[in-house]
Amino acid sequence: MPQLPQAPDEPPPFLRTWRRVYTVILIYLGALIAAFYLFTRAYR
Amino acid sequence: MRTLDWIVLITSLVSIVAYGLYRSRGSDTVDRYLLAGRTMPWYAMALSIMATQASAITFISTTGQSYVDGMRFVQFYFGLPIAMVIICATAVPLFHRAKVYTAYEFLEKRFDGKTRSLASLIFLCQRGVSAGLTIYAPALVLSVILGWPERTTTFLMGATVVTYTVLGGIKAVTWSDVQQMCIIFLGLLVSLITVIVLLPKTVSFGDAVFLAGAAGRLNAVTTTFNWNDRFNVWSGLFGGTFLFLSYFGCDQSQVQRYLTGRSIAQSRLSLLFNAVAKIPMQFFILFIGAMVFVFYLFVQPPLLFQHAELARIGARSEFPAVAESYQQAFDQRRQATLALVDAHHRGDTAAVERQVADYRAAQLQIDQARSEAARLVERSGGEKGFSDTNYIFLSFVTRYLPVGIVGLVIAVIFAATMSASSGEINSLATVTVVDLYRRYIRRSASDHHYVLASRMATLFWGAYAVLFAGWGKRLGSLIVAVNVVGSLFYGSLLGCFVLAFGFRKVRGTATFVGMLAGEAAIFWAFLFTNISWLWYNALGCVVVVGTALAITYLAPASGVPAESATEGTPQPG
Repeated sequence: MPQLPQAPDEPPPFLRTWRRVYTVILIYLGALIAAFYLFTRAYR
Repeated sequence: MRTLDWIVLITSLVSIVAYGLYRSRGSDTVDRYLLAGRTMPWYAMALSIMATQASAITFISTTGQSYVDGMRFVQFYFGLPIAMVIICATAVPLFHRAKVYTAYEFLEKRFDGKTRSLASLIFLCQRGVSAGLTIYAPALVLSVILGWPERTTTFLMGATVVTYTVLGGIKAVTWSDVQQMCIIFLGLLVSLITVIVLLPKTVSFGDAVFLAGAAGRLNAVTTTFNWNDRFNVWSGLFGGTFLFLSYFGCDQSQVQRYLTGRSIAQSRLSLLFNAVAKIPMQFFILFIGAMVFVFYLFVQPPLLFQHAELARIGARSEFPAVAESYQQAFDQRRQATLALVDAHHRGDTAAVERQVADYRAAQLQIDQARSEAARLVERSGGEKGFSDTNYIFLSFVTRYLPVGIVGLVIAVIFAATMSASSGEINSLATVTVVDLYRRYIRRSASDHHYVLASRMATLFWGAYAVLFAGWGKRLGSLIVAVNVVGSLFYGSLLGCFVLAFGFRKVRGTATFVGMLAGEAAIFWAFLFTNISWLWYNALGCVVVVGTALAITYLAPASGVPAESATEGTPQPG
């Protein structure tokens, strides 16, 4: 089997660093859970 | 199914397959056949990852799950974004820099051959069974629509998927996934709009949401902790994180998707897209199930959604009493529902509470009648533990959706299966050829030979999946069954990769023994405890890591020296 080429590493297309992108994703998850919690309470 | 439905269905399927095969031209070398020559853009990988996970099971079974149990299944996905972030930061750059075809190839670079082989075998066992379940779901659809035996439809689905996968390789799989996800999004939107339009004119969308909530179908978040409760926010966040770490970090059917990326950044973006989009998508599908439930508050649903079984029990002497009780309960529930809507419009809180109590009493009677009907199925020679959850949405689609849209929804289900199954079979073949055949049987052969071997392995795994598909109908809700099967094996794999990424001193033998201990612990929990399957991954992972660390520090002389074992292994970037 042929040797695979080395994949280049690049910065993210937004927010400049991957660490910031990951932080935004985790904040988004928190907001989503909070929204679902409020949704559940509102229609319980 | 009317003529227009058949036209929509056949046109959709033929165009998806033709487009996938067209885009797969030139997949004549092994790196192109198995990894698309590492040229894929992030959006194609993102949709392919989503499509591989969101099989027909997602569409059929999740809506049924919401109908019977509400929306709390969405919590299962809360761990997914966390898992994606961890995988992007660790596994993605490591796999890319190691220049591997499979995740298990990496394990030999880090540990030794036996650890790689054990991980490969665990994957083959688990994914082979799951591939069978993936084919079974749409076979069920065909069976319901055409009235053919499930065995025949399973074989037809399997044969189609295998042919398509053998010819196209991963490029065909990925590009057909892209088209298929577009059809899925369209189908979901049309389904929701249609079910809302079908509600009585006096019931607004707001009323429908209110009724779903009053019926306990909008329970998206449960904060109470219980080890035996499958779906609550804690099991989703912690158990779910372990499950998705295992699935996206250690399961070749997913790893292979992002190994096709043209760069590390493209692979990361594909996973992060799923971190953002997956939970809202599942919420949306579950919401459709809740709206189908509301629809059936006004239109009497069949006693059983599986018509063949309903016909089977129709001749029994006990049936008329059960049917009558069901009819009465439905009439009471309908009246209570209409009164509830009226009280809600008037803003009369006391009346709302009264009607909710009446509604719940009638619902209890309906549930009892359905349980009695299920027992009649068992007594009439039907399957033990009969469940018609997987037939609820299909029954609704074929009975009430307008002409053309039925064909579209069925096309969605078919396309989802073709894509998910082809991805699974493709990855099974890759592991078989790369981790077993090339490793132990033919270490150096021509590129053409390995492409041919991959095609043959694809054929073998397709046949294996079809054989295991018959098992699916005994497992109740398919969406849960798939995840239960995965959870029996993923914990050990995850533990192995955690050791590979995070513990440099741990050697191959310690990891190998740890994986065996992890599997033993998971099967013990499965067979002898009531612990929810969502925790199996965490349990297996902890046992693997704990056992390997204990061996490493209590018997440091065993196995290969850490320095040589980790030699040349790339570290997290």
